Amino acid sequence: MHRDARRTLGGDPWFVTGAALALLLGLLVVAGPFFAVHDPHDMSFRPLSAPSTEHWLGTNDGGMDILSELLHGIRNTVVFGLVTGMIALVVGVLIGLVCAWFGGVTDHALMRFSDILLAVPSVMILILVAAFFRPSPLVLSLVLAGLSWPTTAKAIRAQALVVKKSVHVVAARQMGASGAYIITRHLMPELFPLYLIGFAAKARMAMFMEASLSFLGLFDPSRKSLGMMISYALKYYYLDIWWNWLIPPILCLTLLIMAVTFLAVSLEKVFDPRLKEAL
Amino acid sequence: MKHSQRNSRHRQYIVAYLLAALVMMYVSYSVPRWLPGDFVTAMYSSSHVTLNAEQEADLRAYYTQRQGFGRYLVDFFTLNWGYSYAFLTPISELIREALPWTLLLLGTAHLLSMVVGFLAGVEAAWRRGRVIEKAGVGSMTVLEGFPEIGTAVILLLVFALHLGWFPAAGGETAYVEQSFGRWALDVTHHLALPLLTLLLAYFPGNFLLTRGSMVMVLKEHFIETARAKGLPSLRIRYAHAARNALLPMVTRFGLRIAFMVTGALVVETIYAYPGLGTLLFNAIAMRDLPLIQGIVLLSSLMVLFVNLALEFVYGWIDPRVKHAS
Amino acid sequence: MNVTIDQWSVTYRVNDHALLALDEVGLRLVPGSITALVGESGSGKTTLGKSLMGLLPEYAQVKGHIKLDEQEMAGASEEGWNAVRWSEVAMLFQNGPANLNPVHRVLDQVAEPLIQHGRRSKAEATAEAEKALARMKIDSSQARRFPHELSGGEIQRTLLAMTLIMDPGVLILDEPTGALDAITKAFVSRIILDTRDQGTAVLLITHDLDLARNMADNVAMLYLGQVMETLPAKDLLTNPLHPYTLALGRSYPSMETLRDLGGIRGDAFYRITHRHSEKNGGVRPHTHVIGTEPSHENGHLHPKGCLFQPRCTQSIGPCCEKAVQLQDVGSHRVRCLRGGIAMQLELMQVSKRYGDFTALGTTDMTLQAGEIFCLVGETGSGKTTLGMIAAGTLSPDQGNRMLEGRDMDRWIRQDYRSLAGKIGVVYQNPAEAVSHRLSVFDIVAEPLKIQKRFREKGEMRQRVLRALTDVHLSTDTSFLGRYPHELNMGALQRVCIARALVSGPSMVVADEPTSSLDPSVQAKVLKMILDLQIEKGLTVLFITHDLGVARKIGDRMGVMLAGRLVEVGPTVRVMGRPAHPYTGLLIAGARGETIAAVKPPGGSNSRGCPFADRCERAREICFSRFPEMGGVEETRHLVRCHFPMG
Repeated sequence: MHRDARRTLGGDPWFVTGAALALLLGLLVVAGPFFAVHDPHDMSFRPLSAPSTEHWLGTNDGGMDILSELLHGIRNTVVFGLVTGMIALVVGVLIGLVCAWFGGVTDHALMRFSDILLAVPSVMILILVAAFFRPSPLVLSLVLAGLSWPTTAKAIRAQALVVKKSVHVVAARQMGASGAYIITRHLMPELFPLYLIGFAAKARMAMFMEASLSFLGLFDPSRKSLGMMISYALKYYYLDIWWNWLIPPILCLTLLIMAVTFLAVSLEKVFDPRLKEAL
Repeated sequence: MKHSQRNSRHRQYIVAYLLAALVMMYVSYSVPRWLPGDFVTAMYSSSHVTLNAEQEADLRAYYTQRQGFGRYLVDFFTLNWGYSYAFLTPISELIREALPWTLLLLGTAHLLSMVVGFLAGVEAAWRRGRVIEKAGVGSMTVLEGFPEIGTAVILLLVFALHLGWFPAAGGETAYVEQSFGRWALDVTHHLALPLLTLLLAYFPGNFLLTRGSMVMVLKEHFIETARAKGLPSLRIRYAHAARNALLPMVTRFGLRIAFMVTGALVVETIYAYPGLGTLLFNAIAMRDLPLIQGIVLLSSLMVLFVNLALEFVYGWIDPRVKHAS
Repeated sequence: MNVTIDQWSVTYRVNDHALLALDEVGLRLVPGSITALVGESGSGKTTLGKSLMGLLPEYAQVKGHIKLDEQEMAGASEEGWNAVRWSEVAMLFQNGPANLNPVHRVLDQVAEPLIQHGRRSKAEATAEAEKALARMKIDSSQARRFPHELSGGEIQRTLLAMTLIMDPGVLILDEPTGALDAITKAFVSRIILDTRDQGTAVLLITHDLDLARNMADNVAMLYLGQVMETLPAKDLLTNPLHPYTLALGRSYPSMETLRDLGGIRGDAFYRITHRHSEKNGGVRPHTHVIGTEPSHENGHLHPKGCLFQPRCTQSIGPCCEKAVQLQDVGSHRVRCLRGGIAMQLELMQVSKRYGDFTALGTTDMTLQAGEIFCLVGETGSGKTTLGMIAAGTLSPDQGNRMLEGRDMDRWIRQDYRSLAGKIGVVYQNPAEAVSHRLSVFDIVAEPLKIQKRFREKGEMRQRVLRALTDVHLSTDTSFLGRYPHELNMGALQRVCIARALVSGPSMVVADEPTSSLDPSVQAKVLKMILDLQIEKGLTVLFITHDLGVARKIGDRMGVMLAGRLVEVGPTVRVMGRPAHPYTGLLIAGARGETIAAVKPPGGSNSRGCPFADRCERAREICFSRFPEMGGVEETRHLVRCHFPMG
């Protein structure tokens, strides 16, 4: 199945496009600082100046170089998304496996708990927390992850239950395999596709959240973010800055989210056998 | 399904949701208590709002009060939600003014995108494989990747600022007396762009989900049986196939609604649409914590309520009632 | 309603592949009759069913005619089909519960066609549906439930009610009794028969031979998209004319056969055409073998000739070359180059005397290609004599012998060795049947040496090793060098069987091959013979005194008494309803029942029936005249008795 998957993925236009975009943006994230010749916090430049060879995208109302801001912003968004996605994934997988494996009271309790979490609109909590406590991005990331693991946990649990009943697991148990062995050698590899899909979905959602929250001004103002840039640029729309200040962050954000969306869609297509022919 | 079983299941839902609601309110209630001591000073010193001594004392009292949770609940239900220091108005009044706008925007957006998305999805799945369907799927997938912020800003720039076809802000033209008819038109005019933004954001998801779900249902054996019975294709499409395809869509809607709310908030802000979103944005900018609390709590409860209603709808649609969770 | 299917071909085209599902199939459905369409997976039977409803997918290309009462339906539009669907032609699909919409009530689904076709108002339709369901023993409260609340049997009955609700003139049933319990099965069968009696033309698609035989009037056998044989249902298991029909009958665990299940050698294949470009740029249709058989020429078979040929037990040269058409043979239509099951061996009026002693009275016997014929009788009944005459080792005093259509006597005169290569013989006592000076290898290789075949280097060795593997013996050099006295009887007999098979014969004569073996070994050897027969398509003449053995491996059997064949027929008939009193006696004795004291067989010089003095039913005439061979109801069961039983 994995061999097959690689080939299918490679031929899938969504995947290719998404991967290409992701690669490009990844490059920007990594190599960003080298292009950002100026310190984004440096307010010494003439504000609202047009793009020039010095400042490829000009400067904003505080005199900061837009390009540098942009690069740092992309990086912050991406990092936030990846970190949240990773944490949510790990927590979700862990809880999902525990529920599926142990069943009984543990399963019941954890599932009720996740039901409550699902019922609660996590976004609101996030806004609340961000507004009141002004925590660091990492803390926010943790909070978001802590609120969004239930969907992954349920998906993992459902699939793990199916695998648990499959013949090769029963056979392994008959041979005397321990729980740890079965989980690591039989269950987890089978769940691999779900990891990818779950991670992509969570990361996308997290990036979206980050942009929205920074747009609403809930992050530390000194932290550069795409959402924040858009929010500020919007204030000055009556000036002719839309094309060097407003559009670039929007473009980057769009491309970023599109890249992850395409990857997620294509992964789902390849790995979910039921949807395989649907798309 | 036996009635007793169904009723107990209903009861379970209601209980779960009530519990969640209580939890939310408790969190909202106790959050101020968790804040560090000289919070008020630290917070308000960096904001644009200046407080006189009396207000500051009131605020401090508010945050250190040992009011019971019960009292809090009573206050909540009697719409005694406190006072906004930024706007100098009771919170309940602010919310009462903003809520209808938000409901108008979100309600219309969700309704339209669901209905149109559903119909389009059903018809697309029926025509699977033809060029128009593939084009539709492709373009909708691309569109889905577009964040609301992006579409909102672009639409604003193009249609409001550059072309001037639509107003760039507000829910209605301010300070003008109008007849009801003209007023309705005016409101619609202001509603157009934000609504369009949200439609563009919600439609692809609905469309793709319905289509995907339909494609899977169309493969089922009973669809071939329906065809063999000589039924007209419209009936097969809707009474048989779409009816079964509805279920996943409703579930997913429930799961996504909470996330949809943020997008809506952002869109309101961009268009300065006088709903809860803009209110929240301003509240955050002005560090008006009681107001933030109020809005957040209210929206969460609304989302909870919608989810609960959905649970019942789901049970009604699918007689097999397989728990989606 | 009359249905005529004429030259109907269906090809599924997906991407670069074209799968030929039906190949110029012709069929007629007549009102008031049930036609069974029998086939295994890949035969195209479901495709044919769907063709009659216009439910073929978009990627299906069709050619030919489908006529409903003179109205041509091939190529009709969706509207055209909708006009006849369910109201004139209705189908009961496989997959039971999956055919019902899970969110609609059962009653509504039964009433739906009436409403949607505009025949009734909602209230009327619902009332009628309720009545229809009640007839199927589903009460009104059950009718208001959803599909997932009903049992499998109830669902099948619901589907039946739904299918019949508009009283269609043509009813198509796709595996209607597949997963049902016996009682529901009986109920459903009853309804189907009633529908037939009311004048509906019924097409029963199934792989269940028992069902086909019991319910249908006519049967059409479908193999890889072609009709191989059409025959009256009653002949399905007792008188099949096509090798496929015969082989399928042998494979099916029916209540009508006694012989152990056989299976058919080889695997089926799909007729898929690829657009493989050849060197000259042309396109060559390939037939893909899907299975484990070694394939021909880069995995492709050329689909000239008969489709069944690779698995047929009686194929001859031309079978690979020419495409075969359906021919009329009696009340059957058969698609076989050889006109049906061929005669492997025909003995006509052969007899043998040794001085005064008539070892074999004037006898006829025929062996069909690919069957196991058991010759039973007491010692001295003449079975060995008959067997040896059949094997060609003994010349009869009179009469003709034909092997594969060739006169044996002439053949013997011209080229005995080639005849010998076609017949393998296994003797009763293996220890006596081999030279103790020869090693295992030599024993098995001997026929090849004698017949001077396969002289190529290594080829002879290869054949010997193959033969030994076929009988599940080792091919180690150490084993090959063993001598008979170092082997046990079971192994030695197997070596003899290998010897009989090494030259690739088409017929094997086995004279009491397991009588001198231990029972456990006997069982294994018998099973092996059975498997070999299927694998190699051999015709086997199995001589034995043991009725139990005959019962287990014989397709047909013959009973010999005092040098004459007194009863011949399908094993299930002869053993189940013996016609000759002597056979009855043998069976009773084999069962261990005490029989009246039997006088040992007397001299057979009297002119009457040799069994007369032992027979309870004997009359005057039995003593004076020896009866002629006569048929018992069916022509395939013959008996020599003035007063046959049963």
